[in-house]
Amino acid sequence: MREITALGYSHFILPFMAGMTFVLGYCIISMVKVFIEITPADRRKFLLSLVNPRIMLKNIRDIFADCLLHVKLWKRNKLLGFMHSSIAFGWFMIILIGHIEVFIYTPDRVNRMWYPIFFRYFVAVADETMRGSLFFFLMDFFLLMILIGIILAMVKRVRSLMFGMRRTTRNTLLDTIAMLALWAIFPLRLLAEGFTADISGGSFLTKSLNSVLHNFISNAEINADPTWWAYSIALGVFMFLLPFTRYMHIPAEIMLIPMRNAGLKIRHARKGFSRLQVYSCPSCGVCIDACPMSVTKAHTKDATVYLNRQIKRRNGKRIEEISDKCLLCGKCSALCPVGVQGDKLRIAQRSVRKYGLEPHYDNIQLPSAAMSGEGEKVLYFAGCMSSVTPSIGKSLTAILEKAGVNYEQMDKDGGLCCGRPMWTAGRFNAAREMIARNKDIIEKSGADTLLVSCPICYRIFVERYRLENIRVVHHTVFIEELLRQGRISIGADKKKYVFHDPCELGRGTGIYEQPRQVLRIAGELVEARKSGQQSICCGGSLGSLSLDFNRRKPIINSSIENLTAMSPDTIVTACPLCLNTFSRYSTTPVKDIAQVVADKL
Amino acid sequence: MNEIILIVGGGIAGLEAAGKLLQLGYTPIIVEKGDRLGGNVARWHRLFPDMTPASEVVDPLIENAKGANIFLNTEISFINRLKDKYNVMLSSGISIICRYILLTTGFELFDARKKEEYGYGIYDQVITNSDLEAWFNTGADPRVGKVHDGGAVGFVHCVGSRDEKALNPQCSKVCCITAIKQAIEMKERYPDLQVYCFYMDLRLFGKKYEDFYAKAQKDYGIRFIRGRVSEVCENIEGKVIIKAEDTLSGKPVRVTLDLLVLMAGMKCNQDGAKIGNMIYLPIDTDGFLQSKDNISRINTSPTRGFYYAGACTGPKTVPETLAEARAAALEIHTDIINSRK
Repeated sequence: MREITALGYSHFILPFMAGMTFVLGYCIISMVKVFIEITPADRRKFLLSLVNPRIMLKNIRDIFADCLLHVKLWKRNKLLGFMHSSIAFGWFMIILIGHIEVFIYTPDRVNRMWYPIFFRYFVAVADETMRGSLFFFLMDFFLLMILIGIILAMVKRVRSLMFGMRRTTRNTLLDTIAMLALWAIFPLRLLAEGFTADISGGSFLTKSLNSVLHNFISNAEINADPTWWAYSIALGVFMFLLPFTRYMHIPAEIMLIPMRNAGLKIRHARKGFSRLQVYSCPSCGVCIDACPMSVTKAHTKDATVYLNRQIKRRNGKRIEEISDKCLLCGKCSALCPVGVQGDKLRIAQRSVRKYGLEPHYDNIQLPSAAMSGEGEKVLYFAGCMSSVTPSIGKSLTAILEKAGVNYEQMDKDGGLCCGRPMWTAGRFNAAREMIARNKDIIEKSGADTLLVSCPICYRIFVERYRLENIRVVHHTVFIEELLRQGRISIGADKKKYVFHDPCELGRGTGIYEQPRQVLRIAGELVEARKSGQQSICCGGSLGSLSLDFNRRKPIINSSIENLTAMSPDTIVTACPLCLNTFSRYSTTPVKDIAQVVADKL
Repeated sequence: MNEIILIVGGGIAGLEAAGKLLQLGYTPIIVEKGDRLGGNVARWHRLFPDMTPASEVVDPLIENAKGANIFLNTEISFINRLKDKYNVMLSSGISIICRYILLTTGFELFDARKKEEYGYGIYDQVITNSDLEAWFNTGADPRVGKVHDGGAVGFVHCVGSRDEKALNPQCSKVCCITAIKQAIEMKERYPDLQVYCFYMDLRLFGKKYEDFYAKAQKDYGIRFIRGRVSEVCENIEGKVIIKAEDTLSGKPVRVTLDLLVLMAGMKCNQDGAKIGNMIYLPIDTDGFLQSKDNISRINTSPTRGFYYAGACTGPKTVPETLAEARAAALEIHTDIINSRK
């Protein structure tokens, strides 16, 4: 080891150090702020999770997979994954190897934060370091990787479709400056190391560049200092801007992952976990293509990425507009590479609105339900939407009769809403009141199973009712069981069926396979262009508070077009709302899964 | 007078126009996809407001149009635009070269199954206005057969009309008065029947319609309830139970009925729209064919040589359709005369 400067210091490190100090300070203050904002119970839960070895392991794995390797992006598009992981992982490795070099060769400089970053400026080749030529190679290798990543990032700006993205986010001015600074950092580092490689040593990239520079520029040495300055300034600018740009997701995500793994939920519109999610948004724009509303260009500004941006800006009017418009299909949350919960974030925004009148339901007389007999006792809750689509209830009861199920319909002579629409509107108290009334009827009925034919109801029954010793089951699952147990049997026909995954059933409660199994028995199952987790909302969702019919039309049509890609004979769904919406627009017949089965009994 | 004029559609508009053109000395060609003439009106029993039997209107029209060349069971395969004429290929393989084409393709009924909440196609005792007319004519519908004196029948107005959700935002114009007419016809057959009409607005604009409405209430005791039906279900006896809100008294109502009749609205005949599409005739925002001008040139299309008459440009009553057919015949005649000058 041979240090070039006696002090191990040069003025050019100042921009970097200033930026670094600022960004570290900012992040620590923000972390403390989020920590204070979450509820005491959540705080305890979070701290306990940090010492739980299982969660700890999961945290490490998730941080490695999500922040460095970007596994989710790889799954989405190889080129997109490569671009992100080459920059993130490459940069991480350069920093890591830089630190290792400092530890090995200049252990007394460990406390100098700038040393690993500007190692090649301060340390010259010596016998010892030459034995470490592996480090030289690795440093150049990862630098090359980052540079390729940055070239890809530039290409992505003009050709996003190559990366599997039809639309990308529009940058803010600060985002653009920070992005340019980020792009400048690594070419400048290459140049700076290139100028000094004859003294400090280097590998295939820096050494070659060094000889090129020396052959073409006389007095190449005098350029060394300015390029190191430029490198440091680029780093400094990037770090100063980081907290105010999309790049805030880099530190925020490191805190988001352990909090999510601890099981924390959004409890406040803007504070705590919501704040963390908003700042974890990398503005990548995956949610813009995911959003079913994006078929109309005017709605692309209502994607989750822009909600996050408006929340950061505290633009109340736009926050309200974006939150109310959303269909709450949850596709942006399902596809988000960092796990921002766009739908729940919007419900939280809705919940802060003040209403002049709080509804109450005491004056509504509800019939009670009483189940008798031995063995299974199935209570069927049809829900409000099923009253408007009588075919579902009629088919399902026909199936129950045929299978000899002991059942009773709970809301035959009128019932109270399940509470989910009020919940999605952010009116939690009203929803809780309905939940309490329904829960009382269900628990007193003596039933052991609650059968639901509407995924909207099903979701809230599963998520919020906490029914003791009563199994809540959606009719797709129940029918599949009846078929599997041989209690009903249907013959196959030659028809092609496509299954539309209702948002609340698929992304909401994770039921994808059972309805498909039923359709495989009924005939030939074909898939839509986008299905499962990526299925497109029917457009009729009651999640939206402000979207009118004219603006829903393009969504409905695009959803039908997606389903009919394989020209099926019948579109099958398992949600009365999807059925209702599609049947008015589709030229292909639309049926509920219960109808398909009942028609074959 | 050897100019060939092609009339597409053998309903009342096509027949009336053909009759007038014959009188003017032309020999028009009528192309009808069905196996009989008279279109939708011929399927009707009696017409408002004077309870005229539909046959009294349709039969003379057919008689007057007899001199025309009539192709039944024939559709239009394609239309080619020649220099100043059109080459129309029929499904029978005949090709017609002509300068003047009159579209009288009319309307089709809204598919009431699309309003699933009313239960058409799901519950036996739910029928449409057109099913009821068929029963008036033939008496052969077991569903209507279950109606008995002392029972109850309901009519639901605006099924698929003025309904954005059902993609039919326009008013179908004639269903209000048709419902009243059908309600009266039911009452004439079963004097002790309870008849309810569920409406959102009653649009009784035509000659003597208001009197007809007053008569329905005073003389026949038909009950009009202002409010849309929200849901329909079936009881064990197979009767239908409907829930609605009486918006005038502000109270929910629940009625058990022997029969529910849905007043399905009008939409543009899709075969007519398809023909329009062959030569890029514009479709208006309501889904019907677009005229050159909705006030003074309702008979004329923006494309030279194409004319409209009747419900292909929007919901119309019988007298309106007949007047338009005569106007279209005259319009074609004057255009022929002018082109020869």
